[in-house]
Amino acid sequence: MNDLHGILFAYRSDANLGELTRPRNTCSLPFGGRYRLIDFMLSNCVNAGITDVGVVVHQSYQSLLDHLGSGKDWDLSRKHGGLRILPPFSYTEPGHGEYRGSMEALAGVYDYLEDIRQDYVLLAWGDTAINLPVNKVFEQHLASGADITMVCTPTLKGAPQFSEYVEVSEEGRITDLSVHPTSADKALESLEIYILSKRLLMDMVNYCSAHDVTNFSRGVLQPRMKSLKMMPYVHQGYVGRFQSVGDYFQRSQELLDPAVRADLFNPARPIRTKDQSNPSTYYGPESRSACSLVADGCQIEGEVENSILFRGVVVEKGAKVSNSVLMQGTVVKAGASLSYVIADKDVAVNEGRMLMGHATYPLAIAKGSVV
Amino acid sequence: MKKEVVAMLLAGGQGSRLYALTSNVAKPAVPFGGKYRIIDFPLSNCVNSGIDTVGVLTQYRPLELNSYLGNGQPWDLDRSDGGVHILPPYLGEGEKGSWYKGTANAIYQNIGFLDLYDPEYVVVLSGDHIYKMDYSEMVSFHKKSQAACTISVLEVTMEEAKRFGILNVEADDKVYEFEEKPPQPKSNLASMGIYVFTWSKLRKYLIDDEADPNSSNDFGKNIIPNMLNAGEKLMAYRFAGYWKDVGTIDSLWDANMDLLAGSSSGLDMYDESWPIYARTPIKPPHVTGPDAVISHSMVTGGSQVDGTVANSVLFNSVTVEKGADIQYSILMPGATVKEGAKVYYSIVAEGATVEANAVVGSAPDGADGWGIAVVASGVTVGPGATVAPKAMIREDVKGGEQA
Repeated sequence: MNDLHGILFAYRSDANLGELTRPRNTCSLPFGGRYRLIDFMLSNCVNAGITDVGVVVHQSYQSLLDHLGSGKDWDLSRKHGGLRILPPFSYTEPGHGEYRGSMEALAGVYDYLEDIRQDYVLLAWGDTAINLPVNKVFEQHLASGADITMVCTPTLKGAPQFSEYVEVSEEGRITDLSVHPTSADKALESLEIYILSKRLLMDMVNYCSAHDVTNFSRGVLQPRMKSLKMMPYVHQGYVGRFQSVGDYFQRSQELLDPAVRADLFNPARPIRTKDQSNPSTYYGPESRSACSLVADGCQIEGEVENSILFRGVVVEKGAKVSNSVLMQGTVVKAGASLSYVIADKDVAVNEGRMLMGHATYPLAIAKGSVV
Repeated sequence: MKKEVVAMLLAGGQGSRLYALTSNVAKPAVPFGGKYRIIDFPLSNCVNSGIDTVGVLTQYRPLELNSYLGNGQPWDLDRSDGGVHILPPYLGEGEKGSWYKGTANAIYQNIGFLDLYDPEYVVVLSGDHIYKMDYSEMVSFHKKSQAACTISVLEVTMEEAKRFGILNVEADDKVYEFEEKPPQPKSNLASMGIYVFTWSKLRKYLIDDEADPNSSNDFGKNIIPNMLNAGEKLMAYRFAGYWKDVGTIDSLWDANMDLLAGSSSGLDMYDESWPIYARTPIKPPHVTGPDAVISHSMVTGGSQVDGTVANSVLFNSVTVEKGADIQYSILMPGATVKEGAKVYYSIVAEGATVEANAVVGSAPDGADGWGIAVVASGVTVGPGATVAPKAMIREDVKGGEQA
């Protein structure tokens, strides 16, 4: 598996995620009690034996840098290769917020791409919650003789206006790709995860920078649909995409389903994350915890139900938390009550406060707020 | 290469009084407190005290301990200069192989290692104590008093003093006598087994002690009395805080219960100013099911609780099925307690299984034979079987049987 290199795109901040992505880009959004979204694709790479991973960033990547560090928690702190964070080489046009497309992003790290030691490259977004057997995708890519293998899901997840769909011929070849259509009219949703040869990738990057083409799907995949053999890899497992606050809440609630956890946290392909040396979670004499996912380092004296608690959350006596997501360091003081709330990192909810959102419109509280 | 302070951690103890818990691992590698192993405490104390060079002396069943320590990265001891070093017994040319004869001999055999770093002071630690302590303060005290050796002490009751090594001191805490388990203690200052030595002095006493064929090569029995007899300055360093020797089943269980009591026992794991580091397996958060009832307990990542858990410590990847009842017990990594089973006042070791409706241990009933029951690692207690209190279960118990 050492013939595959990972490139993860980590520069988009979805505007619809509102408060949750103001301090960070979507890849460093906390998810599942102790992870950041990038942990999933990064762990998928490591679990497939990939030793070199480049993470393409553009703006607001401080929290991502802090999280990834040297890459040692993913065993990617290596003498040769390992984890490399790839900020833009320089800003040619100051003012525009992010790369216009992934081809522009790749052109921005051209020198890094040239030095890739492996013959094949995995391209993926770092903001999808998925436990993908990358080695199987690679095996299929080599066996099928495809020029590009595209990972797809048969269970449609994204909002159509932000998603891409593929059409497959009887021989199993991708014949059409629709980008951000008004409705999901095709059976397979592309997860925008690709395997292709380094040679083909460099050829595309060169072509795109010479022709000012920035978008991978519209600028490269669609025009070359006939000349290149593109094949889907259909991933049957769980996929979590995050395009709005509502999505984030729904995906979090899905983790309370044992089948989803069994797939996403498959012990044979563990999801790694930054180690924080927390003690175990303490439950007080009058506490109650039901149907919840609780990370280490929490102190729970009150009641918790149908909720996700990240590391180091404190729920004081008489406080009630239901159907909520409390990120790292949230403190819910005595007698406070939270329902359908997403509290970002280090939120403090003072004594007796009552906060209530709704299943379809959860209340998101910005990082560090005091209520 | 020269270091002012090097720590030597004695981790070779067999831990025979932990019985089945140490049948496969050295005592310092025994799991403690939900997340840790005993050795995490002295190791983390070293790092938090600014000591970056630690020799860990191992010999008894070292495999698991060695792989646990690895390159020392979880404790921030993966240094290019210094760091953690595992030191098995050292064999010179033409010598016959031998194990460490005693605690002093263990350091003697590693004089070569210490000479590499040429330290001013050597801190000698045990691998079987649970406590948080700033060794740098003790080293400063040692320097200031210009002692050859400083021994850290804890004030105990006169009754408890009969079970410890006791230091008799003058008004300025200068030691004039050391007594091992005195029947009539003259002081209540118990040695905690933590020493700071001026290396040049210790080096000489170690060499002299090795030359004495009648010596048992032990710090408490030989080195300390020899230094006192020779008129060296020995000081007692008073420590006030939580400290516990976890060398027995009862004390190990006690210390876990102390940890639950948190700030009131003095063993507060949530105090971020003195973190205890551990090598932790990659596990998702734990899950509480719809019928879970958990009170005054600790639960760790990868666990699934569907039953009742009270006054207990659950390590990672523990399963407590619906209807199971866990009281005053310690469930080590990967332990499984199935539907309807009861586990009271027990330690269930790594990967052990208590099948449905089995009963392990009981609440204290005042009977003489009562004690903490232990189910050794990997053992299965069959469906409906009964394990008596204080039993030490090393082999599978068949369904319905009593053990």
